Amino acid sequence: MGKLLVPLVAAVGLALLPMLGLGGYVLNVMVMIFIFTMLAVSLDLVMGWAGQFSFAHAAFFGIGAYTAAIAQRDFNTGFWLNLPAGIVTTGLSGLLLGLPALRLRGHFLAIVTIAFQTIVYLALTQWKSVTGGQFGIEVRPVEGLATIGSFYYLALALSVITVAIGWALTHSRLGRAWQAVRDDEVLARAIGLNTTAFKLAAFVLAAGFAGAAGVLVAHHVRGVTPDDFTVLTSATIVAMVVVGGRGTIWGPVAGAVVFTALPEVLGFAASYRLVIYGFLMILMIIVMPEGVFGAWLQRRGK
Amino acid sequence: MELLSLFPQFLANGVVNGASYVLVAVGLTLVFGILNIVNFAHGEFYMLGGYAGVTASTLLGFPLVPTLIVVVLCLAAFGMLAERVVFRPLGIRDPSNAIIASFGLSVLLQNGALLVFGAQPKTLRTDLANVPVQIGSVFLTGQRVLIVVVAMGVVTALFLVLRYTWTGRALRAMAQHPVVAQISGVNVRKVAVITFAIAGAMSGVAGALMSSVLLVQPTSGGMLVMKAFTVVILGGMGSIAGAVLAGVGLGVIEAMVSGYVGNELRDMIGFFLVIAMLLLRPQGLLGQSTERS
Repeated sequence: MGKLLVPLVAAVGLALLPMLGLGGYVLNVMVMIFIFTMLAVSLDLVMGWAGQFSFAHAAFFGIGAYTAAIAQRDFNTGFWLNLPAGIVTTGLSGLLLGLPALRLRGHFLAIVTIAFQTIVYLALTQWKSVTGGQFGIEVRPVEGLATIGSFYYLALALSVITVAIGWALTHSRLGRAWQAVRDDEVLARAIGLNTTAFKLAAFVLAAGFAGAAGVLVAHHVRGVTPDDFTVLTSATIVAMVVVGGRGTIWGPVAGAVVFTALPEVLGFAASYRLVIYGFLMILMIIVMPEGVFGAWLQRRGK
Repeated sequence: MELLSLFPQFLANGVVNGASYVLVAVGLTLVFGILNIVNFAHGEFYMLGGYAGVTASTLLGFPLVPTLIVVVLCLAAFGMLAERVVFRPLGIRDPSNAIIASFGLSVLLQNGALLVFGAQPKTLRTDLANVPVQIGSVFLTGQRVLIVVVAMGVVTALFLVLRYTWTGRALRAMAQHPVVAQISGVNVRKVAVITFAIAGAMSGVAGALMSSVLLVQPTSGGMLVMKAFTVVILGGMGSIAGAVLAGVGLGVIEAMVSGYVGNELRDMIGFFLVIAMLLLRPQGLLGQSTERS
């Protein structure tokens, strides 16, 4: 029960935040933090727990967002239909990429996921009749939750659900199987685990969460454009996971908070944002490959 | 009929692009084959080569040959620096760490270049730009022919070095079996530095030459490194001959797709080929299959 206390207090605290009379700007930043929390925690399932590479998380994020935008434009659907549609579409895309790609290991997988990311971005910009090209598609706000004060709760709820599911999954049988695959795939296979199925499960689940985050962001910024879903967005999510601590759930949450809030706080340094991310990724891998939260856990464990 | 008559021209354009893919992909496959490092920042060597060339020729007013020498020296030094600062401290603990670190390096260099050189694309002007070359029904500018000539020269030189010099033997020994190579007295650190210097210089030359045809901008390495990986996988990871074959092949296929099917599909076709190749023949055209745990 003690383990649940801190997250519970944090969630209640976040729920009370809009009542402090904070401006729309702060709430907007908070919503982006919630969205990137969903992305970082779901990528952690693949990169941290199952030990596989994915540099395509922004592609799934984008597929979710465009599913919502296209469904709303062509079929006039609302958020509550777009959300399952986005999750299913991205989950299927994850399956489509995972089935061939997960036969590969290490560097091959890394390359194929970047290739997939590039294909999705090219498709979003070139297939103008469907995606609207560089101009993108407009999206209406969520019905009944058009104000930022109310949308805040929707984003908070979805990110809390994501973290809770992520925590539950990684502390279940499935989570232990993922760890076995990560630590020694040959050994895991030798003791009878269907490693491909477990890797695929991580991939599809993570894609589904990224899709939900995509639907959320489409309704939040009220539109989609391809440049929000580039390989640099993927790099940002990877940086959140790596710097926070792979395979720790709370590390990526902290990473999402810091990396989303940092450019807002350091307004003058906004153009240095990605330079700093790149530098941090290299530095962390060299001096602290287990991430900040991972290092803290290790120190406490001793 | 008219489409068919354009075929030789498409072929020539494809070979020119393919030559630049070869220069970049050979360096990438060397680094992988010898050091077992997957370097996502390799495309940024190409991009920096472009900027080094533009700086030397436009700002300092160097003619073509000194410009290329400056590019080779700068990028060889930069390759060594990257090896020393980023890849050597990682050690060989976990090759997946190098993937993340090189991805970080790529993000760092791309955005660093954006701050230093700006987003405005730049071009390298050479005296060869307006020299027309006609071969049969095919027209090319001098600088495009130069790319093919340089690529052929560099790859031949590399083959000779690897085949007949002691340094080349050390590199090949490392690629075949690092432990035995070390026992036989191969200096691993020296090999790593030399490999990165060669890879950097080759990419840099490609970047400088291509920035006279295409323009150079901070993001130009990002797409190219993906093309180079495509080439490396199609040819077989670590195989130089495979990279040469697949590089020219990809250039030609892209030119044909762009000419006959549609320009939008041009950049995508290679990725579909990669996914197909990985499914059907993961070791690539000329690669040897290796099963490691």
